[in-house]
Amino acid sequence: MFNLRPRAELHERVALKVIACCVLITAGFSLPVQGGALDGATVYKQKCVRCHGPSGEGTEKYARLLAGDRTVPALSRLIAKTMPEDAPGECVGAEAEAVARYIHESFYSREAQAKRKGQGPRIELARLTVRQYRETVADLVGSFHPAVKLDVAQGLTGDYSSRGGRGRNRGSAPHLNRVDPEIRFDFGTSSPIPEQRELEPLSRKWVRLPVLPIPLSAFRAFSQDFHVTWRGSVEAVESGEHEFLVRTENATRLWINDESRALIDAGVKSGNDTEYRGSIRLMAGRRYPIRLEFFRTREKTSSVTLLWKQPGGVFEVIPARRLSPTRTPEVLVLSAPFPPDDRSVGYERGTSVSKAWDQASTEAAIEVADYVSSRLPELADAREGASDREAKVRAFCKTFVTRAFRRPLGPELESFFITRRFEGAKNLETAVKRVVILALKSPRFLYREAGRATPDDLDVASRLSYGLWDSLPDQKLFDEAVAGRLHTPEQVRAQAQRMVQDPRALNKLLLFFLRWFRVEQPPELVKDRKLFPGFDEAVAADLRTSLRLFLEDLVSSPTADFRRLFDTESIYLNGRLSKLYGGGLKPDARFQQVKLEPNVRAGVLTHPYLAANFAYTGSTSPIHRGVFISRSLLGRVLLPPPEAVAPLPADLHPGMTTRERITLQTKPQACVTCHGLINPLGFTLEQFDAIGRYRTQENGKPIDASGTYEPLADESQRFDGARSLAAFLRSSEETRAAFVSQLFHATVQQPIRAFGPDVPARLAAFFASNEFNIRKLLVEMMAISALTPRGPAA
Amino acid sequence: MARFSDRREFLRDLGLSAAALPFVLNLPSLGFANSQVRKRRLVVMFSPNGVVPSAFWPDEVGASFTFKESLKPLEPFRKQTLILKGLSDKVRGDGDNHMRGMGCLLTGIELFPGNIQGGSDTPAGWAKGISIDQEIKNRLQAKPETRTRFGSLEFGVMVPERADTWSRMVYAGANKPIAPIDDPYQMFRKLYGQAKDQEVVKSVLDGLQEDFKKIKSAVSSEDRKLLEEHAGFVREMETELASTRGQDLGHAVPEIEPGLKHQNADMPRISKTQIDLMVSSFAADFARVATLQYTNSVGGARMRWIGVDEGHHELSHHDDSNNKSQEKLTKINKWFCEQLAYLAKRLAETPEPGGGGSLLDNTLIVWTNELGKGNSHTLNDIPFVLVGGGLDFKMGRSLNYKHTPHNRFLLALANGMGCPLEKFGNPVYCQEGVLTGLV
Repeated sequence: MFNLRPRAELHERVALKVIACCVLITAGFSLPVQGGALDGATVYKQKCVRCHGPSGEGTEKYARLLAGDRTVPALSRLIAKTMPEDAPGECVGAEAEAVARYIHESFYSREAQAKRKGQGPRIELARLTVRQYRETVADLVGSFHPAVKLDVAQGLTGDYSSRGGRGRNRGSAPHLNRVDPEIRFDFGTSSPIPEQRELEPLSRKWVRLPVLPIPLSAFRAFSQDFHVTWRGSVEAVESGEHEFLVRTENATRLWINDESRALIDAGVKSGNDTEYRGSIRLMAGRRYPIRLEFFRTREKTSSVTLLWKQPGGVFEVIPARRLSPTRTPEVLVLSAPFPPDDRSVGYERGTSVSKAWDQASTEAAIEVADYVSSRLPELADAREGASDREAKVRAFCKTFVTRAFRRPLGPELESFFITRRFEGAKNLETAVKRVVILALKSPRFLYREAGRATPDDLDVASRLSYGLWDSLPDQKLFDEAVAGRLHTPEQVRAQAQRMVQDPRALNKLLLFFLRWFRVEQPPELVKDRKLFPGFDEAVAADLRTSLRLFLEDLVSSPTADFRRLFDTESIYLNGRLSKLYGGGLKPDARFQQVKLEPNVRAGVLTHPYLAANFAYTGSTSPIHRGVFISRSLLGRVLLPPPEAVAPLPADLHPGMTTRERITLQTKPQACVTCHGLINPLGFTLEQFDAIGRYRTQENGKPIDASGTYEPLADESQRFDGARSLAAFLRSSEETRAAFVSQLFHATVQQPIRAFGPDVPARLAAFFASNEFNIRKLLVEMMAISALTPRGPAA
Repeated sequence: MARFSDRREFLRDLGLSAAALPFVLNLPSLGFANSQVRKRRLVVMFSPNGVVPSAFWPDEVGASFTFKESLKPLEPFRKQTLILKGLSDKVRGDGDNHMRGMGCLLTGIELFPGNIQGGSDTPAGWAKGISIDQEIKNRLQAKPETRTRFGSLEFGVMVPERADTWSRMVYAGANKPIAPIDDPYQMFRKLYGQAKDQEVVKSVLDGLQEDFKKIKSAVSSEDRKLLEEHAGFVREMETELASTRGQDLGHAVPEIEPGLKHQNADMPRISKTQIDLMVSSFAADFARVATLQYTNSVGGARMRWIGVDEGHHELSHHDDSNNKSQEKLTKINKWFCEQLAYLAKRLAETPEPGGGGSLLDNTLIVWTNELGKGNSHTLNDIPFVLVGGGLDFKMGRSLNYKHTPHNRFLLALANGMGCPLEKFGNPVYCQEGVLTGLV
């Protein structure tokens, strides 16, 4: 999937910015004074226009738009310090302030830019995004399966029986039933079934095979023969190709999601293979039915281990926390490939269409139609040959289209979308295919709110469900809307409060965090093996799990306190991570929260996964880290660098610390505009090396983790180390505003200002006065946004 | 869902982007059939449990021979028939004769040790190598002039729903058995599903345009732009679909009988349907290699429709002196031979598209079995009855090779299909090279 990463990475890898040299003519002018007041426009014409162009659009020499998020005071300070670029110091004091104000009001600020484009932000007509399409289709089809309640236990139900323990012998033959947290067993030469261990060799009458009489030599083996079937569900937390692996010297079969076809079929033991693999595409945040069969027949010993490799990960035993003994229904995971959605504004949105997308939507519609029409007995309860089969199939179609359109059909649409599709169809399957394909190609399915300026209760339901889940309304929400109980903020809030606890809401929130931290797609973390022995793919995968577990805790806790992102000291470690990062866990320890060094760790800022990701193979990258803090956490606008610059290799300056080297390379005046902001933020994390371990020295020199930041509308801040930066960020208005607007955009997928100019401020204030509860913030976002009419700019 | 990925893999092989040509595969033959090179096809038909030699093998060797009772249905195809006696499956090792008879029949190589215990001998697993049909298919698919949409098709009739050494004769490689498709509807979807989907899409396009019109008229001018653009793509799709209309299959999508079930009594109708589908797929040049597996090694079909109530395997164990059983077994094999004759007839009636003659002129059917004789479980004199002109063998004869390893015959099949091979399976049984005397 496309995300911001390639661009951002290019930028961040470039690491240094050289601003194209722009020479401003500053020769002997008197101060431009008009009516006693300094005139910014005149100053601009005299000193800036040659490079920046009449309206800040840039010139051939300096082809960059002069726009950004600095306030007037910050802008004047910057001008005084750095402009004109060839002769800084020639535009200072009142003159700098005047020109800053002029620039800000005329074209620099966001508002000025919006004004220039001639329109304010509006709620645009949007189709389902690719993610929304996939989730919707899965839930649409899934809504015809009975709901299941998850058992609190983790693991899979194991049904152990001895040979002869099948069918009618089930009761009398030795057997065992229990929940196993993980499938990792070495039974050795004995049976796991207690009674079976004492069994005498079975008598001939026990043996029923589909073949001929059995030679006597075979009987000895039977006394220890047994088979196990494990059942339940497995939860995927990443989206994409999952590889499953069963390791056994015996025979096995594995089914995942598709119960009609085994993903791994090694029921015939043949040769010396002991590893069997199969791949399947899964969507994150959902559970899939799983069944593992295991047989020991003639082999001397027996053992079985069930592993998986998640996208970007390594093979690991499927942990108990992803397994449940509850069998969940099959999920439709679309295989039709869609082109990626537009993310040019920083969040996915469906405000454009392309031919490739239209074709993908056709292919997907066919895929769903095939899936549905071949499962009518289960989905529509329409048994082959039953007298009410057609009636049931028609009823199914009506419900299907109603749910797909998120709206009751009414007689006219029912006739158009259902009745007419059954006319002349050779059989029911064909009729169903027609209904499904027409419905899924219809703008009523693909778009939200097409044709209504003011959302009605049903549109509000969709705004809620797509906002919180990226999927269609569930029955409860739909019923509320149909009953006309979804048009006041209180009604919306009540539903949002219910919905925000759904796993789909938590999953969407998690996805937001991973994107916010720039690690949505697992990055390839490769580190210098000499400097960081032991840091391998497995460690990188564990670090991702560690971050994920922390985020899962955060979003699933009722307090969902945003500030925990910055002040949490403990880190999830397992035995393998502990070996590298400390904490003294046993080598095979499972993930648990560990407090490492006292008073230095600061939540995600120092989480080794992010520290290692914003770093090079051998050294840290204060610039990557600084850019991450500026852009993601503070919401600052950084223009991409005009030219690629390779970082100075560390071995050219063997005596220097990373901080010294970066300072040296970004010393030129041209770099200061951005690096004056980036570097002092990144330096505060210097106590964490390229794999995120705590350090106090580099190259024999003590680490200097001091840094500064000039907030847009506040006093200049000084920091020493990550914790002091974290203390600032957790209560910074900028961070709060950045988080609120980024979360809003990820949730609603429309520009926040389209819902009113004061919405960012209102939400930020709400957030601060509600203990920074992210879940409450989401509810409030829905309460504000779900009822706003579409229409001309607010 | 599987066939979607098949389609994409296939497009990738062709270097076509799925996005650019979403329906390209619905253009049925995709210009595959290269009419400049003569097509050669191979069909391997399998039936189980050996034969009754006295009612099967002609007494004479050469061009002048008399069909015994089991082979009488081939009388109309006498000139296109070649009967090979004396080919023996010499592969030994793990597994009982039914298992090795099946697993080594087309692979010519031993089975792995494993956990499947037969009626005698040691237990075994899958075969250690690829089967000859798949070897040939791979070679044909590697060359553009012989490449077809599927390469090979694996048909089955009443194959039991379990995967074991007795129920698989086709192998993609060592330990990689391929399950035959014995559900005609599944085979139909594989062959014609996309064409059917395309028909469905076409059938709803008018409705879709109408729906777009209604929605467009209701939205604001700003929103309309996006919908207009989208409706444009839908119109383009309509045009593209319309333009494919002229390039039809070269034959109609076959209609298949509804309501067939995986049950013994439906076996004759399933057999007929599968044969019809195979002939259609050859006419569309979907594949040049096919297998048709009746039940399985040790198969126990009860052919009540010809007056045999006992299971086939059970009968095959009865002693030679049991005349009733011998008669019934002969009837059973005659029924299988009728299926072969029906296949030959359908191929003979169907003209070769883009070339002279019939499909049968360019197809060789090989009817075979896992055993020579049921009650002795011998792997000597494995039946190989050949019909059709596909490999340019000299037909209209009955030959006896007297204990020649059947690997050499497998080599002859590959060479006849234009795939030069000197060794196949266990090389010990290939020492004297490609079987001679066929051409």
